[in-house]
Amino acid sequence: MSWQSYIDDHLMYEISPGHSLAAAAIIGHNGSVWAQSENFPQLSPEEVDKLLNGFEENSPLAQNGLFLGGSKYMVLQGDPGIVIRGKKGPGGCTIRKTNSAFVIGIYDEPCTPGECNIAVEKLGEYLFEQGL
Amino acid sequence: MKESRASCPKYSVLQEIEYNKLNPLRILPTSMTRVEEDGVHGNDGVIGDIIHPIERGIIKDWDAMEDLWRYTFYTGLGWEPGNEGQLLVAEPLLTPKVSRERMVQTMFETFNVGGLYAVEQAVLSLYAVGRITGVVIDAGHGKIDIAPVWEGAIQHNAVKRFEISGQDLTDFLAKELARSQPDVKLDLATVEMLKEKYAAVAEDSSAYVATAEACPKIQHTLPDGQVISVGRERYDVGEALLRPSIFGIEEDGLAEQLLRSVSTCSPSENQRQLIENIVLCGGTSMIRGLDSRFQKEAVLVANPSVRPSLIKPPEYMPDNTLINSAWMGGAILAKVVFPQNQHITKAEYDEAGPPIVHRKCF
Repeated sequence: MSWQSYIDDHLMYEISPGHSLAAAAIIGHNGSVWAQSENFPQLSPEEVDKLLNGFEENSPLAQNGLFLGGSKYMVLQGDPGIVIRGKKGPGGCTIRKTNSAFVIGIYDEPCTPGECNIAVEKLGEYLFEQGL
Repeated sequence: MKESRASCPKYSVLQEIEYNKLNPLRILPTSMTRVEEDGVHGNDGVIGDIIHPIERGIIKDWDAMEDLWRYTFYTGLGWEPGNEGQLLVAEPLLTPKVSRERMVQTMFETFNVGGLYAVEQAVLSLYAVGRITGVVIDAGHGKIDIAPVWEGAIQHNAVKRFEISGQDLTDFLAKELARSQPDVKLDLATVEMLKEKYAAVAEDSSAYVATAEACPKIQHTLPDGQVISVGRERYDVGEALLRPSIFGIEEDGLAEQLLRSVSTCSPSENQRQLIENIVLCGGTSMIRGLDSRFQKEAVLVANPSVRPSLIKPPEYMPDNTLINSAWMGGAILAKVVFPQNQHITKAEYDEAGPPIVHRKCF
């Protein structure tokens, strides 16, 4: 399985009729892009850095906002240490941390937060179990 | 198409409501007694005291709760085994993840519901008044919670639980009445009734102080014939919410706690909109005079540039909206969530297990 096919088949698929993610990527903890969808924003090194420590409760991301490629997301209830969920107007993002990477999904209307969560967290869990 | 029901496990009351009506079909108190297997009618088979499976908003006695749900679904709502409907559950704040997952598991595995969706009560209370942003003060029997909500998302790090709740006020009133009239025997259920009938909040703190001097005493005849007089105690009960120090509880009052909660919300530009949109709901919020006094206190404590104000339910909503705001909101949300298939289906549950609730219910 190439990394790109993880993106195409397991993140950018049609989750329910007419609903799919706007963008997705798998990014290493060091900032390197393992694979991404066409329109995934470029993350700055500082943004990736903030992600590394951002999964705990009351992290600076919750206070100041989560930034992905310059877009600001409001941090919502996540799973400490594992998942960050963010919201930006009618859209948002889900980030699942694995041993050496972040699986990131960005969604917009009409896709729902629940659908984004399912896609990202399912793939993230799978990769985590594979030791990645 | 199966009909959906909204279920709201609250501290003292479990409410079920029909899909397309906007009033509760059934309001059941969450207190039960154990009966022997064969005891069906009357008190013949009753063993032991009254049980309350829900304490301070959290389910403590799961077996009893299951029985209560069973009664509600099959007897109360008339579901048939094998043809269960869909359920929207209004959860209290600060429900532990484990508790949430267990609830989901029970619903799918024991009751075989067709679909489930879980939402926190604070968000639903806002929907009931037609908003998605504001601070919700849900004043109930087991707990009073202050929760700022921004665009439908609860700001979890700003949520505060207030030390005193409806049941504490009842206990408090019972103690005060026992002190002023030691000869009158009262049980808690009677005190609860007296509280609901007479409790009030003075217009402002000087009016409260004045009640120490002169307060008209009301004579109330209890069902068993005893007569009890309720005087200043009725105002004590109300004042406890605004100044718990009167009762030896070293905590700030409701208004200060609200402002403190909002001040931990970021970004700070949002704080103004939160303070100007407060929803005061729940059974305990119905104490006479609480809303206007609360607003006065909030104005005193807040920054002069901000005007704290309470949201009033829209005119087309029924009168009891604020008491039952959480599942009013649930009823409204159920109409959106289930037709759009945003709920958890049995298939999804089977695939992912109870943790699916954290992902899908948002």
